[in-house]
Amino acid sequence: MASAVTNEVQKSRVVVDAERCKGCDLCVVACPQQNLHLSGSLNRSGYHPVEFEYHGKKGACTACGICYWVCPDFAITEVLRWKA
Amino acid sequence: MIGIEGHYEVKLGPLPTLTGKPTHYCAGCEHGTLTRLIAYALHELDLRERTVLVDSVGCSVLAHEYLNVDAIQSPHGRAPAVMTGIKRMRPDLLVFAVQGDGDAVSIGLSELIYAANRGEPITVFLVNNGIYGMTGGQMAPTTPEGMVTMTSPHGRDIATTGAPIDASKLLATFEAPAYVKRVLLPVTPTPATDFYNARGSIEGARSVRNAFRVQEMGGFSFVEFVSTCNVNWKMSILKSKQYATEVLAKVFPPGLFKDKFGVEKR
Amino acid sequence: MTTARDFLKGNEALAYGALRTGLNAFFGYPITPSSEIPETLAVEYGNPQYPAFKVFLQAASEIEAINMVIGAAATGAKVMAATSGPGFSLKQEGISFAAGMELPMLIVDVNRGGPGLGNLGPEQSDYFQATKGGGHGGYRTIVLAPSSVPEMASFPSLAFSLAFQYRTPVIILTDAFLGQLKEDLMFPEVPAPEFDTSWATTGARGPVRHVISSMHLDLPELSRHSEHLRSKFEEVDRREQRSEKFDTDDADIVLVAYGICARLCQRAVGALRAKGVRAGLLRPITLSPFPKGELAAFVERGVQKFLVVELNTGQMLQDVQLATGGRARIGSLQRVGGLFPSPSEIVREVEVMAR
Repeated sequence: MASAVTNEVQKSRVVVDAERCKGCDLCVVACPQQNLHLSGSLNRSGYHPVEFEYHGKKGACTACGICYWVCPDFAITEVLRWKA
Repeated sequence: MIGIEGHYEVKLGPLPTLTGKPTHYCAGCEHGTLTRLIAYALHELDLRERTVLVDSVGCSVLAHEYLNVDAIQSPHGRAPAVMTGIKRMRPDLLVFAVQGDGDAVSIGLSELIYAANRGEPITVFLVNNGIYGMTGGQMAPTTPEGMVTMTSPHGRDIATTGAPIDASKLLATFEAPAYVKRVLLPVTPTPATDFYNARGSIEGARSVRNAFRVQEMGGFSFVEFVSTCNVNWKMSILKSKQYATEVLAKVFPPGLFKDKFGVEKR
Repeated sequence: MTTARDFLKGNEALAYGALRTGLNAFFGYPITPSSEIPETLAVEYGNPQYPAFKVFLQAASEIEAINMVIGAAATGAKVMAATSGPGFSLKQEGISFAAGMELPMLIVDVNRGGPGLGNLGPEQSDYFQATKGGGHGGYRTIVLAPSSVPEMASFPSLAFSLAFQYRTPVIILTDAFLGQLKEDLMFPEVPAPEFDTSWATTGARGPVRHVISSMHLDLPELSRHSEHLRSKFEEVDRREQRSEKFDTDDADIVLVAYGICARLCQRAVGALRAKGVRAGLLRPITLSPFPKGELAAFVERGVQKFLVVELNTGQMLQDVQLATGGRARIGSLQRVGGLFPSPSEIVREVEVMAR
């Protein structure tokens, strides 16, 4: 998906199923680029689900997949990589 | 997308070996992580239609709700015996169980030892968090000295209750087991960086896959996952990861105790 | 090795009977007076005469054995375990699970003296345990009681048929005497039928997978399941009560006895008839479901006196009392500790009652 402002291609994307997330924070603390943070809003179960942003505090997402491996709740459902 | 050709490919994706049901596990519990690692290995090795999961009793009692494979319930501690029955009748099936430390090391220790000693080609995953989780936090045979639990309210006293039992070391003393490994599964705080190390999950994924490969090669495989139980340890999720790293992993250090077929080298 | 006609101990005959009906797996633990069963099967394991017999394993404990039976039964196999009283007690958790999971299997209990360690003599004191549940929760199993070595040989086939038809554990309740007794027998040509095992856990098929569990956390769901188990047993009760009658058509007093006691009572009935006493014998073959129908029919016909002869302190007595509904006089001749009454003692007891 290109950013409308910069016309840049986001090289990776993490798909989150917010309703499954229990806000455990493990993906947040394990992500080396700090691309993930807990949302301020609540999901149906009353947890703050995690949200993904491509530009993390330390850099852009590299599709390393650590969040996928660490998530205990199948809330990180997909890690996608851009193929030109 | 103006002028940009391409598409997103799935590097890591949804797994048909998961039912997709939201889990009952507490937030941050390694049972959930392990379930995901197992689902991934079953999918990657195309084992789903040949697999029978044996549910044990403990937090893993509902494992069949999350893993989309044939499953049978076992009485408390008896999963290695039930697995033996299945595998002896149907050696073509892949048979495994996820057991807690109470299930495998307390009431089921005899069944575990004898299945291991016979070298039954089955797989046992032990989730060792040093406490009885499902029943509300009582002392386990693997509870570290001094830990406060519901049945050791003044801290575990080794003099009257014995020392924690090291299941991996115990099974490794027998000749027959082909793969005995202990992994520290939780994310671990690493002071040198400002993010938690996820090596446990990666190592865990590899160990699950190796364990299944060892069974396919005819050997008994056992992987002990040192884990957490933040609710019954009465800690925050991240604090419990720290406790596992600093205390539990010292009582149960990770390691490869047996690798008869050399699967770790490949 | 056995031939179609042979002279065998009860335990051996039972083992061969199971082999001949296509036994797939045996998991056991040595306990007197049942050990001849695993010993015979150990010898015959690998005999091409029994190609279905794929697994023989002596487990490390009675508990390990019953759980191995559960695993093998889950694959749809014909599985058996054999034990005596203390081992039967240890197996109760497994039997409860198997009943809740509706797994077919055959468990043999060679009743010895109890309670506790007891002794090695014959008793019928596991009657309550076998017929009323024994394990936790609400379930019933089918219990068969052979009374001769030929029946020890033919009952495994009947047991597996019932087990698979109703998807339930079946118990053969015999005793130390019958297990050791040697008799002449002809092995009947029994079918080794295939049963429907589409419920078995042998690997998912596409979207279809099988989950065999006795756990139903949802309260209404467990209620439904338990109702299903009850109605299943009600059907068993309607259709599978089995017994044998000797000289009961015109009997004034009916003896009720199973297993070795039935053999003694048969002798006694013969002697009584010779003395002009109109006595007969009802021999339950299924202890569960108990042949209430026959007893009720006797009462309807006007039989006023029954004598229950058993090797315990009054267990089947209660079922006879229930079935006769307080409309007849029920006597009880009991022996325990491995002792048993002689036919002449039974005759004397009947004569006292008949007066």
